[in-house]
Amino acid sequence: MPELIALDSGAFYQHRGLHEPPFADYFDRIVYLPALAAADLDPARTGAVLVPCRTPPELLRPYRAAFEDYLQAGGTLVAMGETGAEQWLPGIRWTDTEVNFWWWLDRDPDNGVRQGDPGHGLWRHLSPRDAVWHYHGFFTPPEGACSVVDLEGCGSLLYDDRVSTPGRLIVTSLDPFYHHGSHFMPATTRFLTGFLPWLRQEVTGPRS
Amino acid sequence: MLLFLRWYAAKRPGMLDAAPWAGRVEEVELYDLHGLDLARYRAVLVSTHHDQRYLQARGAQIEAYLAGGGTLVFNGHLVRPFLPGLSPFVPSRGAGVEALRVRRLAEHPVFAGVTAEDLTFRRGVAGFYGRGCNPPPPGARLLNGVGPEALPLDWELAWPGGGRLLMHAGNDLWMYEEDSSSAARLAPQLFDWLTAEGG
Repeated sequence: MPELIALDSGAFYQHRGLHEPPFADYFDRIVYLPALAAADLDPARTGAVLVPCRTPPELLRPYRAAFEDYLQAGGTLVAMGETGAEQWLPGIRWTDTEVNFWWWLDRDPDNGVRQGDPGHGLWRHLSPRDAVWHYHGFFTPPEGACSVVDLEGCGSLLYDDRVSTPGRLIVTSLDPFYHHGSHFMPATTRFLTGFLPWLRQEVTGPRS
Repeated sequence: MLLFLRWYAAKRPGMLDAAPWAGRVEEVELYDLHGLDLARYRAVLVSTHHDQRYLQARGAQIEAYLAGGGTLVFNGHLVRPFLPGLSPFVPSRGAGVEALRVRRLAEHPVFAGVTAEDLTFRRGVAGFYGRGCNPPPPGARLLNGVGPEALPLDWELAWPGGGRLLMHAGNDLWMYEEDSSSAARLAPQLFDWLTAEGG
């Protein structure tokens, strides 16, 4: 059975999401990023690699070619928010925006985050409101990719790209590990509660 | 000379670029810590975003530095204790604002004139400053508490030989330096404290 692995850059907020209940059991292995080896990026062994939010892009850029090879060989890669995905993954178009942490205090709070394609499988695990918190910017997904979470009038906050490479690239600007791991913002915990079972199922098939 | 351990894009104190601090604080990437002679520095500061696995692996170096009279300022939820006597972060229990309310437990130069209210609320929202504690070893001086149990969110521990550990279990103390509240005093008072008296 292919494994779901996650990269750990040692920050406390990644620790909580990757090493502690209730999410630790979703991962087959946690790889300390400075120790990531070629064998970890073999699709025969590793079905999916999750790069949690706020992993410094400086630590990921040296693996750019290895990640591209992994996708070309059919691997699945999940890149989360504030990892500078455009710096270490092919074909990423990113637009930075101001961050409004206080949008929910407005009289009529609506920060423009919308459900994308309602037919995407993630929505069987997640309610649209579980993906709504502040955003740091948006992506312009490649043609043929499925936008799962939209930023109205701008682009995508989460998309699933099965067309650009033989593998699968799931890219999001959302940063749920950071906020869940900081004991901050319950929506981010709800997001992981739906997202990780979905990802697990996509990698290994349904649990029997 | 002070040492600020950088962590890539993590926000550094802007005041390091201007008088009187420009040139008095050396900035080095965290991963270069192992090659440094820490005895050269009066104090070492580490940001909340850093790699705790690496810091834990450098525990002996840090312990020797404190035993030699150095001062360490730690920010963040401790998940990988790097010194004997330290233990992992404990979140504040309870719900709502009361779980996040900060209380002054003892006066300290870093917090002089900084109100507990301004540590509790930032632009009206509670919880930015800290949401629990890194449990203090016996003998620590408890400075600020959070929540109904007043979990010691900030504390200072003295080492025989003059070493000091200032522990803050939350966002970087210098995060507030451009705020309009009394919390803006934290960063300059921290650097003043680190360079005052003996240390």
